[in-house]
Amino acid sequence: MRFLIVEDDPVIAEHIVAGLGLHGHETTLAQTGSEAILVLDRRPHDAVVLDRLLPDINGLSVIDHVRRQGNTVPVLMLSALGSVKDRIEGLEVGADDYLAKPFDMDELAARLSAIARRNAPRPEGSQLEVGRLQLDPSSHRARYRDASAALNRKQYSLLAHLMRNADRLVTRSMLLESVWAYSFSPTTNIVESNMSRLRTALLGLGCDPIETQRGAGYTLRSDRCA
Amino acid sequence: MRLIPRTLSRSPRVGRLAIQFGMAFAIAMLAVGMIGFSAADAWVSSRIDASLRYHTAKYLAPADGRGADDAVVAAKILDWQRRKVLSERTYVLFSRDGTRIAGRLDIAPPHPGFSDVRFLGGGRSYQLGRALATRLPSGSLLVIVQHSEAAASLHALLPGVVLAISLVALVMGVSATFLFARLTASRLAETQGAADAIAAGDLSRRIPTERLDGMFAVQAESLNRMIDRMEELVRAQRLFSSNLAHDLRTPLTRLRGTLARGAADGDPALSGTFERAERECASIIAIFDALLRLAEIETGRHPSAMGTLSLRPLIEDVADTMDPVIADRGGTLEVGRLDDVAITGDSDLINQLLINLLENVATHTPAGTRARLSLERDAGGAVITIRDDGPGLAAADLARVTRPFERGTTASATRGSGLGLAIAQAIVRFHHGRIDLADAAPGLEVRVRIPANDSPRPRAAADPVAA
Repeated sequence: MRFLIVEDDPVIAEHIVAGLGLHGHETTLAQTGSEAILVLDRRPHDAVVLDRLLPDINGLSVIDHVRRQGNTVPVLMLSALGSVKDRIEGLEVGADDYLAKPFDMDELAARLSAIARRNAPRPEGSQLEVGRLQLDPSSHRARYRDASAALNRKQYSLLAHLMRNADRLVTRSMLLESVWAYSFSPTTNIVESNMSRLRTALLGLGCDPIETQRGAGYTLRSDRCA
Repeated sequence: MRLIPRTLSRSPRVGRLAIQFGMAFAIAMLAVGMIGFSAADAWVSSRIDASLRYHTAKYLAPADGRGADDAVVAAKILDWQRRKVLSERTYVLFSRDGTRIAGRLDIAPPHPGFSDVRFLGGGRSYQLGRALATRLPSGSLLVIVQHSEAAASLHALLPGVVLAISLVALVMGVSATFLFARLTASRLAETQGAADAIAAGDLSRRIPTERLDGMFAVQAESLNRMIDRMEELVRAQRLFSSNLAHDLRTPLTRLRGTLARGAADGDPALSGTFERAERECASIIAIFDALLRLAEIETGRHPSAMGTLSLRPLIEDVADTMDPVIADRGGTLEVGRLDDVAITGDSDLINQLLINLLENVATHTPAGTRARLSLERDAGGAVITIRDDGPGLAAADLARVTRPFERGTTASATRGSGLGLAIAQAIVRFHHGRIDLADAAPGLEVRVRIPANDSPRPRAAADPVAA
């Protein structure tokens, strides 16, 4: 995929470019807001990493400008302003995701992939289904072939989120945001512990399609649910 | 957070003050009355003495060139008696040996000069009189006694007048003090209202000075200047923390990038070092985030989605979340009684509060600890209790651990930001509640009280002052 990086700090910009390169992505670098607007006019990108505080114009104004021209390119806002309020401001102005500095490179890559694919619609029926693994929202039960297991609320939401994002890397902080809706970082392994309970339940069904990506997060592999 | 009913102790204080002032006023008036009375008494006495001297001189004045002898004086006395003039004076002449020569007053001869004598007036009752005795050249003694109605009634009036003056002064003193206290209280009421609002966190409030005068205005202005300064300091601190956020996040981002690159393409022998450095970097970031979060909540900048929040499902959700975490550390989490209570709150903050408290149990208690989470409804609102049977906290630590960067003395082996309980405390305060840590013998009991949204909020700041 091709990403546009808008970042004025050379060390951080280089770090992002190199990191995304390692994940197999191509990047274009812009150092100012006006440069970013020019680049986006000339060439389509799969997603944009936009620093909020730029030397010329504010990142918020860049999104505003881009959106008013009808460009729906997914934008991940990167900012040193990390409070809940700053985050809400960024999302309200049209950013698809918001990541506070300092960030983890894998986190950035995973979130970029997630928002870049968001444009491709996914079916979201009442019955969640990946291969032969099914999730029933009314009974909170997971079914695989003939077996079924009851899940608690958290396990259900976790599995649902992973199934909707099957075959994509989902990081811990993405899960905390979307499954738990927490804006703070817990100090214990909340995600790991709950994930391990979910996987125990799935193993009981004879199918554990969840793969741990060391240090990064989890992926639900659809080929394991056949 | 304790709320002290503050109108209770005011009236008795004013009352005692008024009585003290009234007494002082009464004593002062009493003294003034006595001085005035003594002056009047002295004046009347001096007039009587002067009159006695005048009449003595008149009786002893030489007539026809001869000096006053016994016969002349006795004749004058007899003449006076015969005329039966109504007078307050009586004349007596004693011979050298003390026998009465003339006059009807039945007294013993007094010493020459002024003296006070008792005599039977009108044959009925004893009266007091002022006497001037003068020795004649013959050796006889002329005594003139004056009984003054004015002086006697003045003396009779004394106790009544003094008592009346004291009572009037007492009443006037007390009422003047009450009036003064009321006027003072009404002037201070606005000052107090503003001070309460400021204590509750509203630094934009100022004491209205337009209706104040004298020392009240001076004091209000001085307080307002103090609040100006406080507001300035708080603003500077906010600016500082948001600048700190930006200025520290950028180098931390670079540091993290550099460490990641070093770990990726560095010497395999150094990869352990890089990993440790990355972990340290992550804990710096965690403390930093927690600190900013704490500042955000404490200064009320957290963009709160305050709304009606049903606590029971929220607690069930948190219990589901934390059950495996506590179990993975060898403990158990039980859910006790859960009442239906709704509060006005921010769900994100209440989640963080409960997660922080349960994480505390998970990290600071040994394997095998059992924790119990319950939600009850009482008259004051919602009571969330987290009780464990772990080692608990030393009594001295109970008050200390909710302060930033404080840890229980026995828990130093476990690392955390040291802000978990401080953040919990800030969240509870934000919701107008209170958090109490108590010894559960054994273990620790954390009790969080938050007013229910159908119970009236504690009105500490908004209470009008009852003067």
